[in-house]
Order: sequence, then structure tokens, then C-alpha cells
Amino acid sequence: MHGVRRDKQSKEAIEARKQKEQSKIREYLALTDHVLTRKKNKDYTREALETTTQLLQLNPEFYTIWNYRRLILLNGIFPKSSPTEINDQLSDDLSMTTVALRAHPKVYWIWNHRRWCLENVPTGPGSEGDPDYLGWRQDYWKKEMFVVEKMLDVDARNFLAWSYRRYVLASMPVPRNPKTELAYTKRKIEANFSNFSAWHQRSKILASLWAKGELDEYQSKESEFELIKNAMFTVPEDQSAWIYHRWLVGAGRDKGILEREIDVIKMLLDEQPDSKWCMESMVHYNLLLIKNHSSNVDVPKLTQECRSFLKELRIVDTARTRRYDEIEEELGA
Amino acid sequence: MADHLLVPLHVQYIQNLGKSQDDLVYHLTAHLRMNAIYWGLTALCVMGHKDALDRQEMIDYVMSCWDDEAGAFGAHPDHDAHILSTLSAIQILIMQDALDRVDIDRVVKFILSLQQPSGVFAGDQFGEVDTRFLFCSVNALSLLGRISELDVDKTVGYIIQCQNFDGGFGSSIGAESHAAQVFVCVGALAILDRLDIVDVPTLSWWLAERQLPNGGLNGRPEKLEDVCYSFWVLSALSILNKIHWIDADKLTSFILSAQDPENGGIADRPGDMPDVFHTQFGVAGLSILGYPGLADLDPVYCMPADVIERMGLRKGWKNLERRAAKST
Repeated sequence: MHGVRRDKQSKEAIEARKQKEQSKIREYLALTDHVLTRKKNKDYTREALETTTQLLQLNPEFYTIWNYRRLILLNGIFPKSSPTEINDQLSDDLSMTTVALRAHPKVYWIWNHRRWCLENVPTGPGSEGDPDYLGWRQDYWKKEMFVVEKMLDVDARNFLAWSYRRYVLASMPVPRNPKTELAYTKRKIEANFSNFSAWHQRSKILASLWAKGELDEYQSKESEFELIKNAMFTVPEDQSAWIYHRWLVGAGRDKGILEREIDVIKMLLDEQPDSKWCMESMVHYNLLLIKNHSSNVDVPKLTQECRSFLKELRIVDTARTRRYDEIEEELGA
Repeated sequence: MADHLLVPLHVQYIQNLGKSQDDLVYHLTAHLRMNAIYWGLTALCVMGHKDALDRQEMIDYVMSCWDDEAGAFGAHPDHDAHILSTLSAIQILIMQDALDRVDIDRVVKFILSLQQPSGVFAGDQFGEVDTRFLFCSVNALSLLGRISELDVDKTVGYIIQCQNFDGGFGSSIGAESHAAQVFVCVGALAILDRLDIVDVPTLSWWLAERQLPNGGLNGRPEKLEDVCYSFWVLSALSILNKIHWIDADKLTSFILSAQDPENGGIADRPGDMPDVFHTQFGVAGLSILGYPGLADLDPVYCMPADVIERMGLRKGWKNLERRAAKST
């Protein structure tokens, strides 16, 4: 149970609610028994399917009933149906899960049934060789992107929806241009810099485009540094931007980039002298300079700088004092 | 607000859960019953009140959930077998010293059948995959003494692909790091003796940054705190030997503040409705933090440490030292 407030109910109020619930409980248990009995008897008829609809509307988390529903479709309904009828049935099931997801956006079983439906959409309406041979499938997948975007409009951090989005992107019969996804994540990020889910997704898309040579890594990193700078200066206390920044800098083999970014952070630190994330990042990047470029930097000066930042950090970020102690110990004498 | 763990109230709260048949929610959550019993029993063991629930009744219930078609356990009689309920059933039977009731060969066969070519595990025959199910499978095989039948390289290969630049792990390849998924991946790696693939400084940093100014822990950057992350984050930190990277006192106070001081139980955050899931993970978190008077909890298996120790399965984790009770 998440986020349900504890209300102070009198004993009488609780009793009254329980009394009211008794008939509901009886109905629910009778329906459950009825459906489970049909299941035991391997009843794969249309009537059985309808009883699962009824029960799942009352309780969309009842995974056994979703399983039973799929068995009915596979063993009872589909073998007697034309491709058009199968397609219509799956369309009904998808609508059913859309309604359920609106009320229960974080129930794994519902997302799972949706996935199963999509994977069972028949070929057609055309025959092999016709341009609309995969027409149904293409329509569904296009619609899926719309559904998942609606879900992310309601809760931009819903990790089930993000996972589902990646699944849809990977499964579409006609793959989307990955650059569309870059535009989408940018839109999400600009709507709210704290949306780390979108930053994360962006890092995955970029890494894959760089690996495939579809985007110049150096140039695109430069524009990412611009985007992230905007976020860092707008909400310096927000860790999303700093984590992403750390990814962009990476192992810190490019001395020029490291020093430039350190200068950017120093600028921000002038405005925000107490900023934990500025100081924490300064320590991290200074350490990268020392580690990778020790022969070309002033090691004692950087070490001293780290020490004074660590001292400040122990004051502004008391929860993680011991971590700062350990980093200082590693600096050596 | 309570400043100490209300053990008698929580014991009573857990006992009462089984007597709520007049509550609709009780019936709507039947699909979680096996897990709920595991959560309740583990919390009771950690609080030193294992006998508060009837042993024989519990074993009988677990056995009534056996799905003979699949060869594993469902969450409730007549519910389908699933890895989530199967692991809980094994954990309960081990804690009650009744594993001899199980056809271990069949359960092992069920679990191994869930592994996909990619190395991840499905939850059941319908194929939803998730690193949670991978952990449950690895955990269950280990508890059954049959880990040698697992293809370790293939399994670890999948976990590696779920590793992100922030050191964390997601639910599947490409998914965002999430504290609960970090726990399952790190836990599986600990059982498989493959913690070498973890980027310890980066992951410990990410985990330590889950602590918010109010002491509570969140599961991802810029999200709200929640008592259950006390366990997911702490267990991973314990396995990495980095619990001291967060403020234990503040977290302890946060967990205690989420207790229901009237009817017992712990909620996700202060003032919310308690449930057995958060009660268990709150108590588990307190045990890892060395809270006085609690039994040690094994953070890898999330079971009483002495049980795991006896089975010879203890890994190199490090909880905070148990504090002595303050004299009053």
C-alpha cells in the first residue's frame, strides 16, 4: 500500500464499513469460486472468457485469471476464429487493459497482458505479399506509442511505462527513427529537469547512436553539455543533472573537457557557494584530473582543493560524512 | 510519534492480518498471500516472536498452495504457480524447518525452466521477465542446495547487461537504475560469488545519495522516500560493506516515525496506512542498522541470519553492530 493516508476512523465507522462490505465480499468470493472451478475443468468457452472479464474488472491484480484468460483465448477462442475475429478480440482485450491501467498504472500483470496481446496479433488484413500484410500489427504498435505517452504524461517517472516504451520501440514492425526518441526525451527533460527517467533514456539512445556511428560522439556530447549546463544552473540542488553530467564526462580522459567543465562548475559555485553538488562534483573531477593527467596538472594544488571541498561537504551534507572521510583518506598524506 | 520500535503492537498487527476475512481488501489481495506470510513471519523472527503464528497451520497453508500441474507454489490455493510465491513458500518452510514436505526435484525443474536464452528468468510460463525473477530463482536454487545446476555465466551475463552508468541496475536491459532492482542484482551476484562485476564506488555513491534530508531513502533520484527502500538500499550497502555512507540514526528515526502507534504495523511514510510489506521491510532495515533487541537479518536472503548461517550460505556482508538497549 503506497501513499494511502491513515485516517482516524471510529470503531463504529469501521464496523459500518465492514458491514457494508459483506455483500460485496460474498459476491466477489462467489465469482472467484465460479471462475476457478471453470478453470479447473479446463472450460475454454466464450462464457468462461466473459466471467474472467467480470472478475478482472473487480481485481486486475489477479494474475491467475489473466493466465486463465490467455488459455481460453489460445485453446478455445482463437482456433475457431478467423484472423479478423482474432484481431477484434485482441482489440477488445487491449481496450480492457487500457481502462485497467488508468486506475492501476503500476500493476505488472496488466502491462504483461498487453504485451501478450500485441505479440499475438495475426498477420493481415492482406495476404502475404500485399502491402497491408502487416497492417494490423503496424496500427497497433503505432497506437501503443500513443498509449504509453499518455501514461507518461500522467506520471513522467512511471518506470513500468518507461520499460514498456523501450519494449514498444524495440518491437515496432517499422522501427522509428531513434532521433525521434532524442527529441521526445528532450521535451520531457525541458518540461522538468528532475525527470531522471528521461535523462536515463537519453543516455541509452545516445550511446547506441554513437556506437552505430549514426551520430558524431564528440559533437553531440558538446550539445549535451550545453543542455545539462542549463539544467545545472536552473536547479543546482537537483541530482538528476549532476548524475547525467558525470556520465557525459565519463572516465575523464579528455583533459580539455574536464578543465572546461570544472570552470563551468566554479562559475556556478561562485553563485551558490554552499552547493553540495558543485563541491561533490569538483572533488570527483579533480580526482579524475589527478588520476589521468598527473604529469600535466598541479597535483598538490588540486589535492588541497579537494581537501577544502571535502571539509565543506562534511558540513553541508552531514548524512554522508563518512564517505567524504574515506575519499580524503584515499587522497593520501 | 513513537521513539522506539513498538514490538508488541507489531506482533499483534501481524497476528490480526490472518483474521481480517471480513475486510474486502483481504480477499482482493489473495494473490499476495504467500508473500504476505513470508513478510509477516520474517518480521516476527527478527522481532523474536516467531511463535506468534501457528506453525502447523502455516505449513498446511503453504502446502495447500502447491500447483501440481506446474510443480511449484501459487500464492493461494488454486492460484497458478509463480516464482514469487514459490520463493516465499521455500523461505517459509525453511524458517519453519519443514522443507522435507517439498518435492525439491520438481521445484528445481520448474525454476530452471523459467530461464530464457538471454539468461534472465520469467516469473511463470507466460513469460514476463525481470531481474526480480532472476534473483528469486537464484535465491531459491541456492536455498534448495541446487545452485550447481544453474548456468552461472549466462545468468551473470544478463545482469551485466542491466548495469547502468550510475553503477545501478534496472529491471531489464536498458531500464533505469532502481534501488529494488539494485538489491536483486547485487543479491544474485553475492549468491553467485560474482560481486567482482560491481562498480563499488559508483554504486555505493548512488545508493548513499538515496537518503533524503528527512532521513528516509528513496528508490531513484528525485523521488519520494519510502520505508521499503530502507531494506533495498541498506541490503545492497551491507553487501558492499558501505552502510556507514548514510546517516543510520536519521534513517532509524524515519522508520520509527512511520509506525502506526495505535494499531501497529509500519507504513511507507509517516501518517499512511500500514501494511505487512512495509512492516517487514521497516523491521528488516532496523535490524541491519543494529537496532537494539532485534535478531540479525541476512541482507542477501532477507531471512534470519542464524538460519542462513546454519545452512552454510552466509556471504561476506556487513550490517551495523547491534546496539545495546538503552537503560530506562
